[in-house]
Amino acid sequence: MHEFSISSEIVKNVLDTAEKHNGKKVLSVQLEIGELTLLNLEQVTFWIHELFKGTIAEGAKVRVKTIKARVYCKDCGYKGGIRSDQEDSYRHLIPQTCPQCNSFQIKVGKGRECILRKIQAVSK
Amino acid sequence: MKIIKSRGPEIFDIELEKDLLAKNKSLAKANRKWFDKSNILAIDIMGSIGSGKTSLIKAILKKLGMGKKVAVIAGDLTTTIDAERIEIEGARVIQVNTGKECHLDANLIRQAIKRMNLDGVKVLFIENVGNLICPGEFPLGAHKRLVVVSVTEGPYMVVKHPYIFREANTIVLNKIDLAKAMRVNPSQLERDAKKINPHVPFIKTNALSGMGISKIINALGLKT
Repeated sequence: MHEFSISSEIVKNVLDTAEKHNGKKVLSVQLEIGELTLLNLEQVTFWIHELFKGTIAEGAKVRVKTIKARVYCKDCGYKGGIRSDQEDSYRHLIPQTCPQCNSFQIKVGKGRECILRKIQAVSK
Repeated sequence: MKIIKSRGPEIFDIELEKDLLAKNKSLAKANRKWFDKSNILAIDIMGSIGSGKTSLIKAILKKLGMGKKVAVIAGDLTTTIDAERIEIEGARVIQVNTGKECHLDANLIRQAIKRMNLDGVKVLFIENVGNLICPGEFPLGAHKRLVVVSVTEGPYMVVKHPYIFREANTIVLNKIDLAKAMRVNPSQLERDAKKINPHVPFIKTNALSGMGISKIINALGLKT
């Protein structure tokens, strides 16, 4: 639902950065999005393409890499990914319990990011 | 003759490390610092459309009787209806209209607290936009996050939106007087909530009659 606002923010950052570096045309954009965010990747790329229209980034390729979740358990010290059977049960991909000891005392280390990683552009 | 030719356009890469969600988190942290410094307890009230967020805030204000020592930021896409409803209870109010955004974010809260006179304010309620999805991902810097659902939204609200219920410090089930008519079992909703967030206080209320409001006040650590 908030894909539109995040996409607007991404597009604004892309255009500002390209401008600052004297870019004439943006060719591609690389994003990294955590699998635990509530962002639907299809919607994000759709909005970015829409918002790029009429700008120097119109038609630019949008590549999205998924960042895998990493959790940390305060009880047993487990550090690592979540189990694939857990993934299925999390309707919104929220790790609720430690995959090792089932404790609720887990912290998310990775998987909640939305990173603008790289912009490829043509100079003026 | 020596000709210096300008080099044609070249393709270049710009490497960045800009986390767009981190920006909201750092602004939220700054808000929290500001609340702490100003001795203000900030409470984010989240919940779906029509679950009774404004009615609940009104009922809490009535019970607290703290007048202008309480401030409310009312968030909505448009209109000042909620701000006006709350103003009657004697609190300071500011309306934030998000336009097309489905949630409040830390930056909007920063703007709102800059514009409000919060001298002498002890408690700040932030009424989020009616939505059970997006606000979960956008912390505002509040000390506590309360989620309201009501029985009129049906029996599946909690299981369908685990993210926001996991983020909550207090869960309120409102319009409890209508449970029977709606054929909703409040105990089932409570079990659903406890599964996601085992230690969270789950409070049944009727915001219009005032039932359950003192329990919320206790759970939030507000003293009458």
